[in-house]
Amino acid sequence: MVAAGLLGAVAGVVAMTGTAWSVALPGLLPLTGLEFDVDPLSGVFLAVGGAVAVAAGIFAVGATRHGLDRPGVQAALPAFIGSLLLVPAAGSIGTLLWCWELMALTSLVLVVAEHRERPAVASAGLWYAVMTHVGFVAIMVGMLVAAGPAEDGSFVAVRAGAADLSPAAASLAFLVCLAGFGSKAGMVPLHPWLPRAHPEAPSHVSALMSAAMVNLGVYGVVRVGIDLLGGGPSWWWVTVLVLGAVSAVYGILQAAVGSDLKRLLGYSTTENMGLVLVAVGACGMFAAGGDRALAGLALTAALLHLMTHAAFKTVLFLSAGSVLHATGSRDLDALGGLRSRMPVTTAAFGVGALSASALPPGAAFVSEWLLLQALIHGLPAPGVVPAVVLPLGVAAIALTAGLAVATFVKAFGIGFLGRPRSGAAAAATESGPAMLAGIGLAALACVALAVGPTVVLPTLADIAGGLVHAAPAVTGTVAIELVGVTGVLSPLLLVAASAVGTASVVGGVRLLARRRDRRRARLWDCGAGPLSARMEYTATSFAEPLQRVFDGVLASEQDVDVSHHRESRYLVAAVSYRRALPDRVERRLYTPLLHAMTTWGRVGRGLATGSVHRYLGYGFVTLCGLLALLVVTR
Amino acid sequence: MLSLWQAIRRVGRVAEPAPAGPAGPAPAAAGELAGSVQVRHVDAGSCNGCEVEIGAAFGPVYDAERYGARLVASPRHADALLVTGVVTRNMAEPLRRTYEAVAEPKAVVAVGDCARNCGVFAGAYGVVGAVADVVPVDAEVVGCPPRPETIVAALRLLTGR
Repeated sequence: MVAAGLLGAVAGVVAMTGTAWSVALPGLLPLTGLEFDVDPLSGVFLAVGGAVAVAAGIFAVGATRHGLDRPGVQAALPAFIGSLLLVPAAGSIGTLLWCWELMALTSLVLVVAEHRERPAVASAGLWYAVMTHVGFVAIMVGMLVAAGPAEDGSFVAVRAGAADLSPAAASLAFLVCLAGFGSKAGMVPLHPWLPRAHPEAPSHVSALMSAAMVNLGVYGVVRVGIDLLGGGPSWWWVTVLVLGAVSAVYGILQAAVGSDLKRLLGYSTTENMGLVLVAVGACGMFAAGGDRALAGLALTAALLHLMTHAAFKTVLFLSAGSVLHATGSRDLDALGGLRSRMPVTTAAFGVGALSASALPPGAAFVSEWLLLQALIHGLPAPGVVPAVVLPLGVAAIALTAGLAVATFVKAFGIGFLGRPRSGAAAAATESGPAMLAGIGLAALACVALAVGPTVVLPTLADIAGGLVHAAPAVTGTVAIELVGVTGVLSPLLLVAASAVGTASVVGGVRLLARRRDRRRARLWDCGAGPLSARMEYTATSFAEPLQRVFDGVLASEQDVDVSHHRESRYLVAAVSYRRALPDRVERRLYTPLLHAMTTWGRVGRGLATGSVHRYLGYGFVTLCGLLALLVVTR
Repeated sequence: MLSLWQAIRRVGRVAEPAPAGPAGPAPAAAGELAGSVQVRHVDAGSCNGCEVEIGAAFGPVYDAERYGARLVASPRHADALLVTGVVTRNMAEPLRRTYEAVAEPKAVVAVGDCARNCGVFAGAYGVVGAVADVVPVDAEVVGCPPRPETIVAALRLLTGR
């Protein structure tokens, strides 16, 4: 697995620098054959997927040693990684669909790996299976429509034939593909599988899915929309931008009020993919409006954010896996106090959380800064729609960034600091060296991306520029300099300044405190008994103000039951409080849909009574109907 | 405007003459507290009679704050403790901890007869003893309940004003 990942990463890096290569294996599969064609865009996704696979693979070695993995998982994991790396390398529609389906099936096997332990896994697996296959059908239909005028299914032919496609057919192809690929990227409202399936899978699989697999949804949108169909009208991309902004805000809002660590990370994936889709949408919109430089900048931001997201999400999911292994729990309300017992995991999660909150020394800051630069500099663009959409996009990103800080302060502060809230958390022990090596490798990648994004940025800018036919939007070796618009940022200087600032504040406080006379006294606890973990903030109580503010969106369900003593209604026997935060989109959209499907099925069952005569009758009536139709139409 | 300033200058300061300084021996900590004493009140088992009088002592009529004494909400902010009531079994340990939580230099004022010598509750089953049996006492206020003037007088011993 590690070797496959390494191979993928190396191949991706080589491809990113401009060395394209292709392989055609026409005899391997009937009808379509297999055709691989790696260009720089594929290279980015290959490199990211390969790097994630390396870290997750090393972690998996440790997980297997602890008996966490069954043989089924061990068999399916390499196949999953292989298909994950083959999807971006695919050079024809048939190959892409084949690899996509292989990826879906192997990941499904991995998701349901622990179905014997928890009943929730089966439900998550069902959701995932249905949604990923509906998505597959959508992609298939969309790609077939897009390939209508092409001579064969290879991307080269589709690209050449796209000019002959009618605007209506192109729009249909793009929208259907957007639905299919968007569901894989966790785009609202096609996201409900993501926060179910990602947490229920074993943690290294979660990392692979959340850091590498969702990227391929974005890959599909970029490949089909920008590359194969050649851009398209502005409204396609406004749709992408709006859906991305909604996904970002909705995802992080659900993450901010959640208390299940891995589910929270799953929702955070929806958020980050939303941000990437905002960038992709902005890129398409600028390109359609003729502003190639800004389009390149937006796409560069999208690619860099994909990379940073992959790095920190790998760290976060693998650390969550380490915590889950040590405590058996992913409920933040039952964790805490892990700092002294699991120092390496805590440090790694801290690095990941800092990166995810998009604050200056973190990795995601640079990519979100680039995205904001693109959106803000795009404001003078002509037309009413950009004038409305772009400021709203900026506002959505700002809100998302703020909520992300709250979310990750909660995840880190409640989950790892403070006192342990359960016996399991108090008795936690640090994971083995292999697991820690996997986590540490990903954390190193996070730090590297935070300190030196300029190492990869010019390459990404080249790739983005190549796709939208513009000059690279970003230059500079130490400081990031934007081309075409004014903007300079030096991540290295920022990291150094924050490090010096933090060190001087901490050192100053230490120095001041050392001079004074000190008396050791008991912590003031109002004179009553010792402070207990029950007095601490929990994840639920930390998020309560946010939940109150956004109650109009979240629509929480609260229930207070007061039971009285039999003798008097003035004496309270017990008070029970329950609060649930159901996913509103799911409740409003999917529940009626599923209900309608069930009703439809029940109605259909009335037709099938089991009588052979009736079935023969159906056949006869259908045949007569068809003949009548032919008589009338011909 | 000018006439207003003239009126102010003409009238000058209108106030009662400052009372004579506090009478009696000052507690040891009073000198270091330098005229500003932050007071934490602890109810160790009082009937709430003393609390009413403390409220009056810090109210607008007796106004203990003009002598530099001020009630605060935590022993971590306090220089002195104002303890009322007999020390009950449940409050003995919290009283000890509150005393420990006050920063040095510190003083304890036992307010009311119960705090001084258990008053009418002497020998009751839930009573540990007077305040002096649990923490060292620096000043005492006599009365059941004590009059606000006597409470203010005891606080003035601490502030020295």
